[in-house]
Amino acid sequence: MFSGGLTACFWPIILVLCLTRNTYILPVAEAIWLTIPSSGTKCVSEEIQSNVVVLADYYVIDENNPDQIPTISARVTSPFGNNLHHNENATHGQFAFTTSESGNYIACFWKDGSHKQDSELTLGIDWKIGIAAKDWDSVAKKEKIEGVELVLRRLQGTVEAIRGNLVYLKDREADMREVSEITNARVAWFSIASLGVCIVVSVLQIWYLKRYFVKKKLI
Amino acid sequence: MEKIWGQTWALMGLLLLNSVCNVSSLSVTVNDVECVYEYVIYEGDTITGNFVVVDHDIFWGSDHPGIDFTVTSPGGNTVHSLKGTSGDKFEFKAPRNGMYKFCFHNPHSTPETVSFYIHIGHIPTEHDLAKDEHLNPINVKIAELREALESVTAEQKYLKARDTRHRHTNESTRKRVIGYAVGEYILLTLVSALQVIYIRHLFSKSVAYNRV
Repeated sequence: MFSGGLTACFWPIILVLCLTRNTYILPVAEAIWLTIPSSGTKCVSEEIQSNVVVLADYYVIDENNPDQIPTISARVTSPFGNNLHHNENATHGQFAFTTSESGNYIACFWKDGSHKQDSELTLGIDWKIGIAAKDWDSVAKKEKIEGVELVLRRLQGTVEAIRGNLVYLKDREADMREVSEITNARVAWFSIASLGVCIVVSVLQIWYLKRYFVKKKLI
Repeated sequence: MEKIWGQTWALMGLLLLNSVCNVSSLSVTVNDVECVYEYVIYEGDTITGNFVVVDHDIFWGSDHPGIDFTVTSPGGNTVHSLKGTSGDKFEFKAPRNGMYKFCFHNPHSTPETVSFYIHIGHIPTEHDLAKDEHLNPINVKIAELREALESVTAEQKYLKARDTRHRHTNESTRKRVIGYAVGEYILLTLVSALQVIYIRHLFSKSVAYNRV
């Protein structure tokens, strides 16, 4: 009876460890893996609108020598050039921020100079923005919901995020249509202006040559 | 006691099913070959995704031949491949579980930025239902609903990436219109000034004394 109770305790704990963000205790297959070249940096970026929560986790994966994992450095920059996160000589790290401006957010990783091997590194990145970055465990605890209700609440959040995305796409398409219309008008005006420049220049030419020939007493 | 453990298991099962569906959406610059790895937990999962080549400087007109996209299974076979596209969607069933490799190959020397999105979705089958008696058919329906919503989100990400690409093309066209027009005017003025100078030169005393 005692041993049965222990094993019944064991598996939920393992599952909880898997589901929470202890990715360095039990790496969860929720992330994508990238290879960092032995020289140079590897950058990933995403174009994010303003007022969006970004949550990311990165960790070095090296199965060959688990006791001497190579270290990397990371830097995250905002579209205006501000440094949002900087980490040196680490095997794992995480960063979280809310975007204040819309644009391209870039996260760059490079190998530290201390490891001179020519091998490539594998880096796991777990990058979540918007509704995927929401902490549903705290919502469940705060509102005391669980099970099917929590799942449906998550789905409702997803649907609202979809609607928000549609509105955003519509606005961007409207902006782009304006730029296209302006370009269209500009092409028309510049073509007419080029014709005008042609005529003006040829009139000036003829006027100047006539004046020159009159001066030289040729006509 | 049994009931409490049963409820705990149901909760854990639901949480596990809902966290298996992972999403990754990023942009990466492809110089030659860029590979992204993602782990598929269950065999038979549907892997969906899309990618769009975003940063695309067309100069002399004819389009870039595009990039090649290959998906390799953990056994080394090519599961899916697309050649010479500037963006596409893909969907296939994973033949086995393990680490899948998604590779972008750029045949040209100019680096291209590729924005991609990969989603691995799992819907519990009857086998999973039979294995765990705390899963009932509502979990299957919820998983299907969640997968449908994820497909809408994936489509939106694809549209957003394509919109970004069109925006880049539009901005580049706008700048080039002004550049070419101003360059055209300057060239025209320069050529006509050169014409006038040449005619003057023809009539100058040193060259053509009374020849004309």
